[in-house]
Amino acid sequence: MSTDAIETVSGFILDAPPGELKDVLSDVKALIGDDDEIVQELIPAVAQYNKEQLVVVKLPGSSVLVPVSDANELEDGRFCDVESSSSFAFDHLNQKASNVQSWTLESQNADLIKSLVKATSTHVSEHYPSNPAFTVAPIENDSKVAINLTGAKFSPANYWNGRWRSMYIFDPSSNMLTGDIKVDVHYYEDGNVRLLSKNTLEIEIPGGSASEIIKAISKKEKDYQASLNEEFETMNQGAFKALRRQLPVTRQKIDWQKIGSYRLGQKVGLFPTHQAQE
Amino acid sequence: MASKDLIEASNDLLRRLNPKNTTENLNSLISLFRNDPTLTEDLLSDTDQPLLVARDSENREYLLCDWNRDGDSYRSPWTNKYTPELEDGTYPSDALRNREIAANQAFDVYRELYYDRGVSSVYLWNQENNDFAGVVLFKKSVGDGAESKGTWDSIHVFEAKAVPGKAKFSYKLTSTVILNMVSSGETIGEMDLSGNMTRQSGGIFDVYAADLDSDREQDRERVDADHIANIGKLVEDLELDMRNLLQEVYFGKAKDVVANLRSVQSLSQANRDRLVHQEMISSMSKR
Repeated sequence: MSTDAIETVSGFILDAPPGELKDVLSDVKALIGDDDEIVQELIPAVAQYNKEQLVVVKLPGSSVLVPVSDANELEDGRFCDVESSSSFAFDHLNQKASNVQSWTLESQNADLIKSLVKATSTHVSEHYPSNPAFTVAPIENDSKVAINLTGAKFSPANYWNGRWRSMYIFDPSSNMLTGDIKVDVHYYEDGNVRLLSKNTLEIEIPGGSASEIIKAISKKEKDYQASLNEEFETMNQGAFKALRRQLPVTRQKIDWQKIGSYRLGQKVGLFPTHQAQE
Repeated sequence: MASKDLIEASNDLLRRLNPKNTTENLNSLISLFRNDPTLTEDLLSDTDQPLLVARDSENREYLLCDWNRDGDSYRSPWTNKYTPELEDGTYPSDALRNREIAANQAFDVYRELYYDRGVSSVYLWNQENNDFAGVVLFKKSVGDGAESKGTWDSIHVFEAKAVPGKAKFSYKLTSTVILNMVSSGETIGEMDLSGNMTRQSGGIFDVYAADLDSDREQDRERVDADHIANIGKLVEDLELDMRNLLQEVYFGKAKDVVANLRSVQSLSQANRDRLVHQEMISSMSKR
């Protein structure tokens, strides 16, 4: 298989909507073949996709849900979970975890991380009704702390899927919290409609404690969700209405028998009972 | 591998991947199929892409799509000429061209009534005997440079077949609307709500029974007017249905899914409220 073709289909994989990686992969295999050698070449894109999308996995033998991400990936390609003090292997193609081992956090910010795990756990269970999961992990040579949280709901029988991702980084040396909130919704019954939204934040947390960080995150997410809801209404009442009217200004459908006698800019005679209102 | 599977897989991919990138993804798929011109043609005619606007030799705007393309040239519905000029381009027969002129006038009126501004174009092509097919196109954009922008592309492809032995035609209509909406600003960040939906409709309607070889202009005009009215009503009804459907999916369904992902209210509070509500109902029913 040519590298061009692998590059092309890797782009398709990275663009897969929430919960539809398997469908996209099966299309890709139909296009370029599904022998082992080809499938191996797809793994880098699939791994990148899983980590970017915060794909959530259930650890075998427990009910713990953990997202995979760059932040909680260990050097050997396994992933860690501070809350359950474990690490696990992850099969990117099948999105399955295995070989869970006990693992201990070593970090100069260990106390902050453990407090953040507790606070994030409460926050996530209070606001994410579907498949809530999160990870808190040291990043950038233990200089900063990443907090990733997500909720996702897949309803392929009704042709829709969606995922919310919040990805934050806290820098203890400057007390700055930065990050992105991303919402991705796909609706595909007799069509293909996608909501992709992104909001960036940068907030100073003067005290730098776990509870203050989560309080700021909670407020930011709440405000963002409110402005997102408002924007749906603004688009509906604004741009959408301005694009196409529901009915002509006369509030009547067109009299097609008379359309031939109609001339532009002269709205008389087209409607049987109404004169033009403009 | 059968080429049908390739087309099926490609169509499934295009239904899933970001609809904003349909044109790019289509080009990527075509590059994957570079040895097969038939696959490329099938894919191009299966996929609705955003319409492009161009100006013809008389400086009038018209819409470009696969149906008025011949090689790298596009035919204007107003001048009937190809740009860049083409020596032996494909044209509708003289009789069908007359119908096309009348249809363009009628749907330009429709465009003004429903869209105010924007561009419309109608292209017709001959089928066997007196059958014909065509496409009615509308494009409109709003909010250029503003915080929120939108574009609407309507693509109505139809087929008209004579019903044997009767003064009737059978019409089949497949309509796609591509609706892209984008907002950006300090509070909202970036919000992109884009996509396309397709619906079908059709029916059998009366058409004035002129002698097929009639040279009388009056007869021909009456036949043309009947076809345009029949197609016009189908397009008008289906486009209204689709506008309502798009409104429901974009501003209702998408919003509901977001609420399913994250709850503004805390879930424990929501649970407490529900319990209080249930207790109230059960205590009332005990009385």
